[in-house]
Amino acid sequence: METPLLRKAPLNWRIAAYFLMVAFAVLTIFPLVWLGYSSLKPHAEIVLHPLRLPQHPSLNNYFRAWELGNLGTALLNSFIYTIVATVATLFLSLAAAFGIVKFHFKSSAFFTAAFAVGLMITVHAVIIPLFLAEVKVGIINRRIGVILPYIAFDLPMSVMIAISYIRGIPDALIESAEMDGAKYRHIFWAMIVPLSTPVIATMVILSFLRHWNEFLFVFIFTTKASMKSLPVAITLFAGRNNIEYGMQYAALVIGIIPMIIFYFFFHAQLIKGFGEGALKE
Amino acid sequence: MKYQLSRKISHYCFILPAFLIFISVMIFPVFFSFVLGFTQWKGYGEMRFVGFDNYIRMFQDPVFHIALRNNILIVLISVFGQIPLGMLLAYMLHRKMVKKSNVFEVLIFLPITISSVIIAQLWNRMFSPVGILPALVRTITGNKDYIITIVENKDLAIIPIMFVLLWQHTSLYMVIFLANLQRIPNSFIEAAQLEGAGEGTIFLKIIMPILGYVIFINSILAIAGSFKSFDLIYSMSGGGPAHYTEVIAVYMYNTTFVHQNYGYGSALSIIIIGFIVLSLLLTRGVSKIFKVE
Repeated sequence: METPLLRKAPLNWRIAAYFLMVAFAVLTIFPLVWLGYSSLKPHAEIVLHPLRLPQHPSLNNYFRAWELGNLGTALLNSFIYTIVATVATLFLSLAAAFGIVKFHFKSSAFFTAAFAVGLMITVHAVIIPLFLAEVKVGIINRRIGVILPYIAFDLPMSVMIAISYIRGIPDALIESAEMDGAKYRHIFWAMIVPLSTPVIATMVILSFLRHWNEFLFVFIFTTKASMKSLPVAITLFAGRNNIEYGMQYAALVIGIIPMIIFYFFFHAQLIKGFGEGALKE
Repeated sequence: MKYQLSRKISHYCFILPAFLIFISVMIFPVFFSFVLGFTQWKGYGEMRFVGFDNYIRMFQDPVFHIALRNNILIVLISVFGQIPLGMLLAYMLHRKMVKKSNVFEVLIFLPITISSVIIAQLWNRMFSPVGILPALVRTITGNKDYIITIVENKDLAIIPIMFVLLWQHTSLYMVIFLANLQRIPNSFIEAAQLEGAGEGTIFLKIIMPILGYVIFINSILAIAGSFKSFDLIYSMSGGGPAHYTEVIAVYMYNTTFVHQNYGYGSALSIIIIGFIVLSLLLTRGVSKIFKVE
């Protein structure tokens, strides 16, 4: 609540604030705008006049990058990996949190602690054994070999968020359903899931973002171009120095646009999720 | 009795699917990494146990020293750059020192949605000879041949990377601080203003102590994140030129998957976890001394 008592900040603070905010905003927007219009220029023009607006803007770079970089396949893969992993993580972590919070067995403390330890484990600490195991089991270069680690690495955080939310659902609600003879799986689907809608929204958006931007698993566990995700395909494509700059820029724009659209729709939820997510640990 | 048993079974039925995936993909491999760290192995053929050789080698390995130095620099820029700057920005937004503060918030937070590897490629092109930054300098100074040479300097090559990390992550801390600032009643600031406290005093003497716990949590996040940092650096420089910008995670990747040295690579990955746990304990110790909890 804004109250009339609260005085405005002094001028020097406001000037400093504008300076910092504008600096950060420019550092965000300027590279994106520059990348955007440069991607419409042919290679020679980029090299000779890096700053200049395109003289004859053309989408040529996009068509060629799309084709040469296999970006259509990569985009499809990104959607498959992200959606499957997000949905799976959501239900697995809601179920686990329900089991941990609402049954009041001693083992719950152990499970909570185990998932908390997971927050400290880095991708790099498991990547070698995981790679060897996937080769052995034969799921290297297969979608399941990417999706499983996606899910596992998202579980600790998702379970923690779900636990802190489901704890707030009154026990009495569940007990009365039990009295009426409801099975636990019915309680889960008919009560826990619907009652968790507010936190589900946050969990889905944060998971989606993490899965979409994941790099290392796809990079290492797949060798076929037909299995790469968008960030990996673009890194491999744009990383090669011998190709034309225009196409590199176009590929980068293709990688950025889906997330800008996503951000445009969900920024409020995302900012809220990130802001509060860190408090719960 | 029968009722209790069925409750117990249900309890496990809900937890186990998630837990089994978690254990098999995260916990079990960590132990396996730990064992591999004591071996010399090329990924095929004979696996030789060499005791602590990999860890001793680390002490003498000049590349590891550079990687460790760079990791420490990144921790420093995170804890003393991203966190204070993020906090300052959050406070400025919270006090509505700029008009349209929510527009600034949304703009500044935007990079968080873009994948680090793409951000790396973008900034590489900004710094490159045909990029926008040298072009801007050329236009402003009139020096037609200007290019950025910092990336070829062995001591300074890490600076552009640190700059991008600072730019990329400050907004994350800004958002976390902002969410917490909104829980502080305005009356705290009002009371201080009535007492005649200036803006700086309010920020340092009132807001910072209240947010002590959040600063502590953010420091843990920042330190752990710094040791994990891979995507951006791998994609910006790959650790080069000549290992100048190596960090432990990138060195671990190169050792294992490029040079096929699974034993040494695993030892490096265990060291990363070691540093994260160590910094967690250290931060906890520091917070106990200053009683921020």
